[in-house]
Amino acid sequence: MKNTPMIDRYRWWEMVFIYLGIAVFLTFILSPFVEGFLVSLKPLSQLFSSPYRFFPENASFEAYRTMWISVPGFARYIFNSFFISIVVTVIVLCLVVPASYAFAKFEFPGMGILLGAFLTVNMFSGAVLLIPLFRLMRSMGVLNTYFAMIVPGVAFLIPSAIWLLRTYMIRIPQELNEAAYADGASHFYTLRRVILPIAMPGIIVVAITTFIGAYAQQFIFALTFNSKSEYMPLPVGLFAYFGKQEVIWNELMAASFVGIAPAMVIIFFLQRYLVGGLTAGAVKQ
Amino acid sequence: MGQLLLNKVKKFYGNFEVLKGIDLEVRNGEFVVFVGPSGCGKSTLLRMIAGLDATSSGDIKIDDLRVNDLPPVKRGIAMVFQSYALYPHMTVFENIAFPLRVENMEEQKLKAKVEHAARILHLDQRLQQKPGMLSGGQRQRVAIGRAIVREPKIFLFDEPLSNLDAALRADMRIELAKLHRQLKATMIYVTHDQIEAMTMADRIVVLNAGEISQTGAPLELYHKPANIFVAGFIGNPKMNFLPVTCTAVGDAGVTVDYKGKTLTVPVKPRDGVVGQALTLGVRPEHILLASGDISFPVTPSVIERLGAQTVAYAPLDGEGENFCAMLPGNVAVRPEQTLQAGINAADCHLFDGQGIAFERRVSLTDIDMNLFTASTKG
Repeated sequence: MKNTPMIDRYRWWEMVFIYLGIAVFLTFILSPFVEGFLVSLKPLSQLFSSPYRFFPENASFEAYRTMWISVPGFARYIFNSFFISIVVTVIVLCLVVPASYAFAKFEFPGMGILLGAFLTVNMFSGAVLLIPLFRLMRSMGVLNTYFAMIVPGVAFLIPSAIWLLRTYMIRIPQELNEAAYADGASHFYTLRRVILPIAMPGIIVVAITTFIGAYAQQFIFALTFNSKSEYMPLPVGLFAYFGKQEVIWNELMAASFVGIAPAMVIIFFLQRYLVGGLTAGAVKQ
Repeated sequence: MGQLLLNKVKKFYGNFEVLKGIDLEVRNGEFVVFVGPSGCGKSTLLRMIAGLDATSSGDIKIDDLRVNDLPPVKRGIAMVFQSYALYPHMTVFENIAFPLRVENMEEQKLKAKVEHAARILHLDQRLQQKPGMLSGGQRQRVAIGRAIVREPKIFLFDEPLSNLDAALRADMRIELAKLHRQLKATMIYVTHDQIEAMTMADRIVVLNAGEISQTGAPLELYHKPANIFVAGFIGNPKMNFLPVTCTAVGDAGVTVDYKGKTLTVPVKPRDGVVGQALTLGVRPEHILLASGDISFPVTPSVIERLGAQTVAYAPLDGEGENFCAMLPGNVAVRPEQTLQAGINAADCHLFDGQGIAFERRVSLTDIDMNLFTASTKG
């Protein structure tokens, strides 16, 4: 006898459909990665052979070695990417945690309008505002600095982070605040000793999404506001593999995977802290 | 000391008057229970005493100090919430220690206080556990522990037992009563459960629609309800109300007519009520089977056998509510079988058209009231 709940039981053909659907979408999402990885293993000459062979003959990790030689600054690009994303994440968290606490626990005039405005800002992609931002950066004289890539990143990531964390904090029972207040705790003491520890899973979710967001969006800011190669982040750095005559595809792919790897390690590390049910026992539900 | 004085305390939400001028004095060491139906303002009143909600007008004084504008911690109160409001990420020890940590109390003293509170509440073995691992009763005790370590002048309880199951609630009632004797502190307790009110209170404050309906010792409210609301609210099952007409007023009391049968209720007579429609109140537990000063036929539609008692519910013609009789456990009654419900005039309550009670000639001296006051003075 299977112990599957009745609501989770399917007929055999339903299972076939479900797995077929999963397979189709997974193929769409994962095949570029697979192809990219296989390309990184092939010698450059084999890439343009005809007929094209999906699986490499005499595969080797040679490209993972030569990529450091053909683009010497690559390690710096990875560092830049990380540096920018981590600084953005830290600044966003410092601003967003108290802000979402305020939005979640207090009523104040203009609250709805502000929250609505955040959503509206979210609807503009950074690209729309590039030209005005460029002019602003130029007149402030901060072009070609880390600052120029970090500050717009922070600005565009704050609204969604506030929405995300506010939703999480609303779920923390108001009685906890009242109990702490009745015991003489100030708002900041309550935030630090009571709210922050309970909201930790939510804060980690925000940290991960902000980090990924910063990693993804830095490309456009770096391309526009920065022309110094020593400040370039990874996505821009990949252009270095585009030579005058040819593109070194296998090294480009190898570099992409090397560039993603540390980010994946960080995310993997953080998601272990995403434990649910931390409020168990706080109040009777 | 822990004396509380409420002077014409009012609360408005917008234009809606939630509390309509509450006057009350709570003596030091008293266990006072606010009871009333939901929405009567009892929790709001407690939160105003606690300092969680602002007072629209009137004075709240604790030990002769006006505390209206003071934060909770300066009022010398501690509050226990209905939902426990424990900090889930802290151990029981840290939960109880929280108010002391806020005060920055030194570690040695803090530890002694928390352990003392834990001993009182039988939580010594649980100090290193987190609230998630505790049962409902233990969680509530942790919440009480957090209040005890503050050594407040006044304890405030907001329906602390309503999340517990029935058996645990009975146990906690006894523990709270013991705790009150042990700490000799003033306690104010809000509940909608009249059994909690009757069992624990030195004095009950019955609230209805933002006003104090009556204040008194439990048995005073039971035997001498001031109005029809208190009469209906205190006592379970609820008091039966019968429409009667006043036919005569004399020294013996007020004579009323119910469906052609007359009954002289021994209450303090009033002038000018002859001919008026009054309401006769009689508790289900005072209904007699085929005896009493008058009796009338009722046909129960539902019979509930509780073992010790049998409760019969009979629809009365022209009345929405059931007539309820609490009869001995082994009585031979059946649904749809007419029985004679008898009542004694001495057991009856009488209310005028406004619902105000005629004062009953029941002396409460057969219950020594000093016993109740003595227990609080220790």
